[in-house]
Amino acid sequence: MRKLFVFTGILALTLPLLAQQQQAPPSGAPAGQAQGAQGGRGGGRGRGNQPPLGPVNALGQEVRRAPTPTGPAPRLPDGTVDLNGLWNGGGPVGSIAQGLKQGETLPLLPKSKEIIADRATRETDDPHLWCMPMGVPRSTPYPFRFVQNYTHKAPTHMFIVHEGNIHSFRQIFMDGRKHPAELDPTWFGHSIGWFDNKDTLVIDTVGFNDKFWFDRQGTPHTEQLHTIERWTRVNEGTLRNEVTIEDPGAFSRPFNTTWTARLAGPGDEIMEYICQENNQYGIAGGHKNPFAN
Amino acid sequence: MKGKLGVLVACLSLLGSGAGLIAHHSFSTEYDGTKTFKLTGAVSKVEWTNPHVRFYVDVVQAGKTETWNMELASPSALARNGWTSRTLKVGDKVTVEGYAAKVALNRGNARSVITADGRSLFGGAADDNAPGGGGNQ
Repeated sequence: MRKLFVFTGILALTLPLLAQQQQAPPSGAPAGQAQGAQGGRGGGRGRGNQPPLGPVNALGQEVRRAPTPTGPAPRLPDGTVDLNGLWNGGGPVGSIAQGLKQGETLPLLPKSKEIIADRATRETDDPHLWCMPMGVPRSTPYPFRFVQNYTHKAPTHMFIVHEGNIHSFRQIFMDGRKHPAELDPTWFGHSIGWFDNKDTLVIDTVGFNDKFWFDRQGTPHTEQLHTIERWTRVNEGTLRNEVTIEDPGAFSRPFNTTWTARLAGPGDEIMEYICQENNQYGIAGGHKNPFAN
Repeated sequence: MKGKLGVLVACLSLLGSGAGLIAHHSFSTEYDGTKTFKLTGAVSKVEWTNPHVRFYVDVVQAGKTETWNMELASPSALARNGWTSRTLKVGDKVTVEGYAAKVALNRGNARSVITADGRSLFGGAADDNAPGGGGNQ
């Protein structure tokens, strides 16, 4: 009888974990793709629908998501792809190397390898954990939205509105201007953009600071960073982001990574996320804020 | 007694092995995926704030009251899973299961909150990086 009790207890605790492990991102898959495969964070049910709060297993609960739509990508009246929608994913989280083609490795300079080794000893210094912006092309667990500002002739600006972390926006100049010759370094840099064949939004960015980490591994970059993002709405619910990264201060050559964002569920919208409000990160683990004076 | 202890150890070690496979940085730097807890008490405070919602539970053990600081997902992640700022209220009797802090006392990452009226609430995000969360961030 006691053996039966032991077996039942173990089974009850392990089955949910095994089920959850099967849902974990496949090894080597980009984080955004892995999230998307599950329907994406924030997808599924809008706030007005019945909450998906059902029976709890050992230490968690299945949160159901609506399937990602696969119809054709919508178009604007002039035929340009319409990027409107709330998106999840689309960039690195755990490791930017996950966006490389299979078999490729990051062309890290020796100095960059040293920085990664150092950051591995102080992973809680990742600025992102302390309510600092994620930079480019890093993704977050929170959705984002493309917003275009038009005149009667053409778009002048594109904004990417990020719910978190932190509540922030990127500004992309769509009016044909060039990058200024000299820029003060910033978290999101100076971005200019255009549509390639009305199918792909191209964003070219320079003028970054060197503060954000590309990923949790601490992959570094310098102020020489130059990114070229190519956002293509493959279908209604899927957005592909092909990112070329060039930084002679950190990498021996330019390299390409590919990420996928998934459309959030119907009714989902950007919500407020003021990270600085009550950030108690570090207390539970005994870590100090590296940015505190 | 020995048998019950054996069951507990077996279960905790299995939880630990599961946690080790899929835990990621932000969880593992703060909480111990092998230190599970199950506590019952009264909600004394709710902070519907970013980056994490927190609620505080007064737990009476051996005649002494200790207040636990329980961490949940962000307000937006919880709202997408059906929570509101009114889901938990001061005075509610709850049972909380989760993972204890690595260093600080009486702090927990709450994964499951069972209210007195029997509702079972998942406290994380769908794809977060706690054991069982299945996410990268």
